[in-house]
Amino acid sequence: MIIIEWLQAYGPSMVPTFNLTGDMFLAERLSIKFGKVGPGNIILLRSPEFPRKVMVKRLLGLESHSVTYVIEPMKSDRCDTIGVPKGHVWVEGDNIYNSRDSRQFGHVPYGLLEGKVFCKIWPSKEFGSLMKSGMKDPDSYS
Amino acid sequence: MGTQSLLWNSVKKFLTCGLIGLTISDRYASIVPVRGASMSPTFNPRARNFTDDYVLVEKFCLKKYEFSHGDVVVFCSPSNHKEKHIKRIIALPGDWIGATHNSHDDVLKVPKGHCWVEGDNSASSMDSRSFGPIPLGLVKGRVTHVVWPPQRIGLVERVFPQERVSSFK
Repeated sequence: MIIIEWLQAYGPSMVPTFNLTGDMFLAERLSIKFGKVGPGNIILLRSPEFPRKVMVKRLLGLESHSVTYVIEPMKSDRCDTIGVPKGHVWVEGDNIYNSRDSRQFGHVPYGLLEGKVFCKIWPSKEFGSLMKSGMKDPDSYS
Repeated sequence: MGTQSLLWNSVKKFLTCGLIGLTISDRYASIVPVRGASMSPTFNPRARNFTDDYVLVEKFCLKKYEFSHGDVVVFCSPSNHKEKHIKRIIALPGDWIGATHNSHDDVLKVPKGHCWVEGDNSASSMDSRSFGPIPLGLVKGRVTHVVWPPQRIGLVERVFPQERVSSFK
């Protein structure tokens, strides 16, 4: 992708922001190149485990931020807090009950970010720009 | 006016060439300079101050992310995404690599989706021995040839310290 790309999302990890299959959205690359992303943005990320796979997740922490996450949401409410090192980011799916993200594979290098999602296209009744934070208040991360 | 349309034509040609060049360098191959001596003697064999080696970087490898032991690759630094480094892949996912950490000899397993990179000049190279294995997703291309200076034009060979790496596949 050079500047803007039209993509389709699959999988349960970003429910309800993106449905299980078939939601389409636009993503752009320039914000990533110029560092204009922050907590609350939905981003595209190349998987640190499967480099051919690009995932859609929400950015929750940049370098030197401190992130609090629920360790095992299916079992308990226990939380842990972790600092994000230099050059890395912390990402989570909106559906923390069914999402493989930084809670499993840890903070990832910023260089794995591929794009920022800015507009949902399909289904047409959900067309429009995506709010900065769907479920989580970005101000709770510092 | 005649000169105005001539100028506009030139601008259009320039922009078209620019876009084609950008697409080629983004998707297929580009030529980049090698800075520093961390890959000496493969690149920049003597600390010459006036010319860096230039190498050809191919991007076709990014379709499948299939690399071999000994490939020289360009990757984004894990601590600063704006910096790109050139190092050699020594170990692939699932390999066990012998590395010395804080003067302790250690054997590490390279995690899924990651690789272990080292510079050929181990005395002066910031690589996986300091920042650990890197995700293969950070790799932005593979170096295939040296294209400058003319007396060193040639293929970049795949070599790696086989005694330090075990792959059980």
